[in-house]
Amino acid sequence: MSGYIARRLLQGVVAIVGALLIVFVAQRLSGDPVALMLPMDATEEDFAAMRQALGLDRPLPVQFVVFIANAVQGDFGDSYQWQAPAMALLLERLPATLELALAGLVFALLLAVPLGVISAVHRGGLVDRVAKIFAMLGQAVPGFWIGLLLILFIAVELQWLPAFGRGGFANLVLPAIALGWYPVAAMTRTLRSSMLDILDSDYVRMERAIGLPERWIVWRFALRNAFVPLVTMIGVYFANMLGGAFVIEVVFAWPGVGRAVVDAVFARDFPVVQAGVVLAAVVFVVVNLIVDLSYGFIDPRIRHG
Amino acid sequence: MSAAKLLEVRDLKTHLFLKRGVLKAVDGVSFDLAARETLGLIGESGSGKTMTGLSLLGLPPKPAGRIVEGSVKLDGRELVGLPEDVLVDEVRGRQIAMISQDPMTSLNPVFTVGAQVAAPIRAHGLAEASAAMGMAVDELDRVRVPSARERSRDYPHQFSGGMRQRVVAAMAIACRPRLLIADEPTSALDVTIQVQFMDLIERLQAETDAALLFITHDLGVAASLCHRIAVMYAGRIVELADATELYAAPKHPYSQGLLASVPKLGRRGERLTAIPGNPPNPLDLPSGCAFHPRCPHATEQCRREAPPAVQVDGGGEVACWLHA
Repeated sequence: MSGYIARRLLQGVVAIVGALLIVFVAQRLSGDPVALMLPMDATEEDFAAMRQALGLDRPLPVQFVVFIANAVQGDFGDSYQWQAPAMALLLERLPATLELALAGLVFALLLAVPLGVISAVHRGGLVDRVAKIFAMLGQAVPGFWIGLLLILFIAVELQWLPAFGRGGFANLVLPAIALGWYPVAAMTRTLRSSMLDILDSDYVRMERAIGLPERWIVWRFALRNAFVPLVTMIGVYFANMLGGAFVIEVVFAWPGVGRAVVDAVFARDFPVVQAGVVLAAVVFVVVNLIVDLSYGFIDPRIRHG
Repeated sequence: MSAAKLLEVRDLKTHLFLKRGVLKAVDGVSFDLAARETLGLIGESGSGKTMTGLSLLGLPPKPAGRIVEGSVKLDGRELVGLPEDVLVDEVRGRQIAMISQDPMTSLNPVFTVGAQVAAPIRAHGLAEASAAMGMAVDELDRVRVPSARERSRDYPHQFSGGMRQRVVAAMAIACRPRLLIADEPTSALDVTIQVQFMDLIERLQAETDAALLFITHDLGVAASLCHRIAVMYAGRIVELADATELYAAPKHPYSQGLLASVPKLGRRGERLTAIPGNPPNPLDLPSGCAFHPRCPHATEQCRREAPPAVQVDGGGEVACWLHA
């Protein structure tokens, strides 16, 4: 297990270095940053001085080493818009994004777990058919559109819940639904199909043959097995919610990392965009590492393997 | 066997309603079982042995399987038609339990073996959580799992096949069922482990005073363990006799064929006789006696009418027109 963790950690480091490399190259490909920083009437000498000040006159490999060294310390330069360290700006907003992503995940699981289990237990029944329609809608309808509908009906027409901003639990409900909407379908289907396999397995037959109540068999003995494939999905979707929540964050004016990065893109605030890309990569790697570790808790064969 | 009847099965029919047709997996099976008796149920795969066992538990495979007719009485109590919750609470595991076929897949991979043996004890209200765990350790000890206390915290994948089958046995006997059904419990094990496990089953049966229905296709295994043997073919019992009687003088042509196809020690060079033909298509059974297309003694009557089971000399029962 420890060898396995070490291997996964190393892979994570490689992935993050890859992300850094892409950011570094994209930065050099996207034109001369100095041209962006200096006024239109700057002279050739001003350019040279600026390049020297920023280290842009040095060979690319040297620049890359310096970039990596800074990046490791979380230094991606200062935001052009806010004149503050780019990474710090984003980290400040990370709790808001985390809160939203967790709420979205909880919403998705609260819906997907019972739906998936009941669909499998009563295959072809009412819940199964409703869940199928739900799954189709979930895959076909993008989250931001659900978000807009929620705002229109729940927030504007019925005025039950606030439509935007971060605050208490009430503010969290609509964006969490919009964000958690998409994964519900896939999670329900995955859980349903693994539950179907498991409920047909020899050990479930054995559990029935010794008189265990069906609700124990389903909700305890079978569900824990069915969680193994689901955890993979949870990891992927949670990482996506963290890194890709920007659409929902924009729709609901949620002060998260995603929205800050989108704002930075429009403002050509490169340091913030770069810090955002790298932050997303780090979050992705960390979430996947947590997922890998959590397999061990669910499935002892992986823990001992 | 003169002891009181524990189990009385009469004309049991379990059919599978498939898209392709109705599969008469169990088609009129009758037998008795006395307390502490061991009855072997032998036959080829697909003959309905396992389905008979599952039917006694009220567990024909869902959603296709259904007990359509017949009666299963345990201590005089009718089990067919009992509501599911009564079967779960009072019958399965408590009065009848089953040791399933493949030890490698019969244990839940993500729970400790201790928790799995404790589960029926808790489910049937014999003890609460921690006490049930203690009882589970005792049961593991009873089935001779070495250092049971420590090993009860291990997971199935940390056990060998033979040890896993012992754990399955511990789950089955944990609530002291009156009837133990063992469905080919040794087929997946190495021969040496098989012998150990058979000894264990015999000992467990003696210790817990249970009757045993031993399902197998292995005539040798059945002979060494069972008092009486029922031979199944195409969902019916074609011959039921004392084990010694069956081996000495099989009456039904199918039993004769089965015994002739078993290699015997000390008879090297002798050709084994195979039963001609193939087992019938279960969705389209032959008319009359299902064995008639393969039977060397088949007559016109065999093609027309299924033979009833009749008492024969030696105390057995045979369903064959030769003996009717």
